[in-house]
Amino acid sequence: MIYQVRHLTRYSYALPVTTTHSELRLTPRELPWQNLVRSSITLDPQFETMRSFRDYFGNSVRYCCVLTPHHELAITAESIVEVQETNPLIPAATLPWEQVRRGLRAFDDPVALQAFELAAESRYIRWTPAIADYARSSFTPQRPILEAAAELSTRVHRDFKYTPDSTDIDTSVDDVFRSRRGVCQDFAHLLIAMLRSQGLAARYVSGYLRSGGIGAEASHAWVGVFVPGNGWVDLDPTNDVVVATSHVTLAWGRDYGDVTPVKGINMGGGDHTIEVEVRVEPLASIPVPVEVRRVAGRRWDR
Amino acid sequence: MTEAVAPTAWTYSPVLGHYDEVIDPRGRPRKHWRRLANTMTRLGPGQFARRWQHGRQLIQANGITFNVYGDPLGQERPWPVDPIPLVLCGTEWNAIEAAVLQRAMLFNLMLADIYGPQRLLSDGSLPPELIFHNPSFLRPCHGLTVPQGVFLHHYAADLGRSPDGQWWVVSDRTQTPSGLGYALENRMVSAQILPEAFKRSHVRPLNRYFHEYRQGLLELTRTKRENPRVVLLTPGPFNEAYFEHAYLAKHLGYTLVEGADLVVRDERVFLKTLGGLVPVDIILRRQDDTYCDPLSFRGDSVLGVPGLLAAVRAGNVVVANALGSGVLETPAISGFLPAMCRTRLGERLKMPSLAAWWCGEEKARQFVLANLEKLVIKPAFPRFGLHPIFGAGLSASERDDLRRRIEADPSQYVAQEQMALSTAPIFSDHGLEARHVVLRVFAVWSGDGYVVMPGGLTRISTSQDSLVVSMQQGGGSKDSWVLADHDEEPQAPEATRHPVDITRTPDLPSRVADNMFWLGRYLERVESLVRLARALLPALSSEGDLGGGLSIESSVELLIGYEYLPEEMRDAPVLEQRRWLERVLRWIVFDTERVNALSWNINQVRRSARSLKERLSSDAWRLLNRLDQEFPSAILSGEAHLLNQVNTLDRAILTLASFSGLMMENMTRSQGWRFLDIGRRLERALQLVELLRHGLAGVIVDEQAALELLLQIADSAITYRTRYYTSMQADLVLDLLLVDEANPRSVGFQLQTLASHMRKLPGQDQSARLPDEQQFIVKALTAARLAKTSELAADRDQLRVFLDELRQDLFNASNALSSRYLSHSMSTRLLASA
Repeated sequence: MIYQVRHLTRYSYALPVTTTHSELRLTPRELPWQNLVRSSITLDPQFETMRSFRDYFGNSVRYCCVLTPHHELAITAESIVEVQETNPLIPAATLPWEQVRRGLRAFDDPVALQAFELAAESRYIRWTPAIADYARSSFTPQRPILEAAAELSTRVHRDFKYTPDSTDIDTSVDDVFRSRRGVCQDFAHLLIAMLRSQGLAARYVSGYLRSGGIGAEASHAWVGVFVPGNGWVDLDPTNDVVVATSHVTLAWGRDYGDVTPVKGINMGGGDHTIEVEVRVEPLASIPVPVEVRRVAGRRWDR
Repeated sequence: MTEAVAPTAWTYSPVLGHYDEVIDPRGRPRKHWRRLANTMTRLGPGQFARRWQHGRQLIQANGITFNVYGDPLGQERPWPVDPIPLVLCGTEWNAIEAAVLQRAMLFNLMLADIYGPQRLLSDGSLPPELIFHNPSFLRPCHGLTVPQGVFLHHYAADLGRSPDGQWWVVSDRTQTPSGLGYALENRMVSAQILPEAFKRSHVRPLNRYFHEYRQGLLELTRTKRENPRVVLLTPGPFNEAYFEHAYLAKHLGYTLVEGADLVVRDERVFLKTLGGLVPVDIILRRQDDTYCDPLSFRGDSVLGVPGLLAAVRAGNVVVANALGSGVLETPAISGFLPAMCRTRLGERLKMPSLAAWWCGEEKARQFVLANLEKLVIKPAFPRFGLHPIFGAGLSASERDDLRRRIEADPSQYVAQEQMALSTAPIFSDHGLEARHVVLRVFAVWSGDGYVVMPGGLTRISTSQDSLVVSMQQGGGSKDSWVLADHDEEPQAPEATRHPVDITRTPDLPSRVADNMFWLGRYLERVESLVRLARALLPALSSEGDLGGGLSIESSVELLIGYEYLPEEMRDAPVLEQRRWLERVLRWIVFDTERVNALSWNINQVRRSARSLKERLSSDAWRLLNRLDQEFPSAILSGEAHLLNQVNTLDRAILTLASFSGLMMENMTRSQGWRFLDIGRRLERALQLVELLRHGLAGVIVDEQAALELLLQIADSAITYRTRYYTSMQADLVLDLLLVDEANPRSVGFQLQTLASHMRKLPGQDQSARLPDEQQFIVKALTAARLAKTSELAADRDQLRVFLDELRQDLFNASNALSSRYLSHSMSTRLLASA
């Protein structure tokens, strides 16, 4: 599948902002199954500094600084991504989950060591005994890990209601677990907490979903679970699917805190509102690059 | 301290079961203590106490303080130091030095690995949990390179001695080790009160260490500039060790800055100064790393510099210690050090760490749970507000509770032995008493390996029975004397200082100018309140309207003008007026809450002065302290008779006058001084305008009395009488207080001084159009010069309009000045979006 993604974030401030420093995680990752054809980020007003680097988890980050006083800041990220079909795993053929848990402690294996880091509590991922209990009923002895994890994801989808605006970023996993409501970010956090509560490694993935699915109108989030031999398998509890070609991967980390798409520090500004607009359109073929359009700001191209 | 009956001879008894630093097991002073012991014997407790008295005055005068977190009063306390140093012999010191050096090297290698290839984790040298679960492991810092591979620029180890005489490392400080400045101060005190023992004992000097400290830091610069600019970053005056930050900055010749003084532009760090932005090359940080950049770390930190990490990443600034170095400050790693030292340095670990059991390991956890009552339980990853738990002090149910908590989340806990720390004598009201000691030893990168400071900060327990040494919890400190080896070359005396660079950085951070300006304004507000109170007090003692001097009525009139009293009071019976006058004066003098009362303003003086600690002389400090002390005592006196406060007010006036004198005679004419004086002049002009407005342009019953009062408050009565032998005349008073530029208490004088100051501020190009603040002042000055005093005196409505306009110009000038030079304190805020 080929997608054209356009992600617009617009901040409006009550008072002028004199300086803003931002970190943007808006460039899709290059992956064996995901080819980044083109991507660009535009700021209005234009930035003074733009520098790209990879973070601890290998995500592509742009640091930028705007020094022009402004009442409004618009950040537009556009990319064309090709997502390839991969051979789906047969859940029943994956390793028993207990063996996976033990294997995480093979620290001399760099893949296992990296996964081990994603098996612990983190800023947004904390669990209670009740959450661990909920998860445990899917993890019967010797059950293949993907079978158990996929069932757990399905249960989360079934037992929790997708309710826009019911939570915010400070809503804890436990609150979501009790209220049985939330959005994609909450369900991702919840499923990660449940997997980690069983001693397994799970990561938070941010990205986009082709239109039609739940959570496609903004950036989306789902969960990667560590399946040795195959690496990471992504599950989307919001849509109850194993992630395949409908998802575009932006970044991953321990939780939302590691992959926040737009993070910034302002001088001034006062009260503000945010407007986010995401469009993911399938394309029939990779378009021939046209000359770089000049929008309001300077343009950064790969 | 109360004067107890001074003993006539020294007695000292060590504590059984502990090593005593002074007395050997046979009851005799150890060899390296003998010179000090002889001196003290010769002095005897009496003379020693007198010298110590002098030493304490020195501490107070220098304003050496530290802050206690969670103290409801937010008070600074005098730095608690004991006059008897801890003495260490040369041979013993050599072993300590080698061990601390080795540790600094090892820790630096560990940081390089943890923030790089992480081989220590993959080869099993360190349990990955200790890094991955550690909130001080800062992932954004992973992969960053540092100049010369120096992650750890400075380091400190806390050492304790067990009963068999062996030294152990109790804890390690790899992030922002404090105490260096206090160690210097302690040295100054001990060398001052025990000069003969200090000289004869051949105490090794500390100077060289600071020279190497500076050298090493400069070597780390990445920019090619000739004179790299170094700043010392402090969390600010509310940090427990702010005094030390200020002191160190002064001693090392670096500019002391807070996060808000720095700004990142184009991946470079700049210092905001009055003259504009100046580039910064090296940041010596005394602020925890997670607070350093709200963009990369804690978004809620208001202390940080947004974009700092981007500047580090771009290689444009060096932060020492490297951001993320706090990851090693966990006691849980100590058990893994001996093996790492062998494999990484190829050496045996020279000094053991106090045994520690990290509960994340199964065997260790079982041992800890079985031996809770013998152990000290600590959080594996130190966080503010978490204190060690002494297993021995817990009840059975508390112990069960702790056991459950450990079992629920074992990797968060580490247990240490409770060490029977050695003892040393302290000097108290009762003579010598034994206290437990912990020695903090400092190491720094010198450009060519690490060097250890020959000395250190000795901290002492609160009591003989307590093994807790914490300045936060009321412990004290000592100087530490390291004696030179006999075969060592003769030591240069402490007095021969290493040449200090004469070019001190002249940068004045805008924040400092802002504090100077407000210090000036609040000082002047205090003075005008004191003068107001002092002028009104006598009215209370007179029998009301018996004539002569000040009447109750004029006083009430003035207070109504100032809105201290409501309008209705004008027509109240004289007895009631008197009662109200007394009430208002009482709260001007005693009240602590009201904005227009004295103590609130004194508090503001203190707040502004606090963050100027390193810029005010010790004499200036002494005066500010005195001002502070004059009034609390008045508050404590509670229902004290108001009339007795005249003395307090008189003293305050003298203190304020001394401060002004000091300012004029002893402060260099820097921009800082200029802002202080601008603050004072501006405030005095405003206060005078207010006074004239309420005392002359308002409703006047008795003109003579009102004029008399006015002149007294404005401290110009004598000038008036020597100049005019007539009775009080409004136009003459106006001329004296408004126009006369020869009278330092006139509006004109203030305006003229302000105009001249403003011309000398940076960026004031006289050839172009005058900047706003100058325009307002010039306009006001011209108005005052052209004022027709007799017309104004005759037409009070016109006077009112005139004064109101003057007041507005002064306000405008103040605002224009602030927005040009001082307003950099805009708040930052974190934004995140999905």
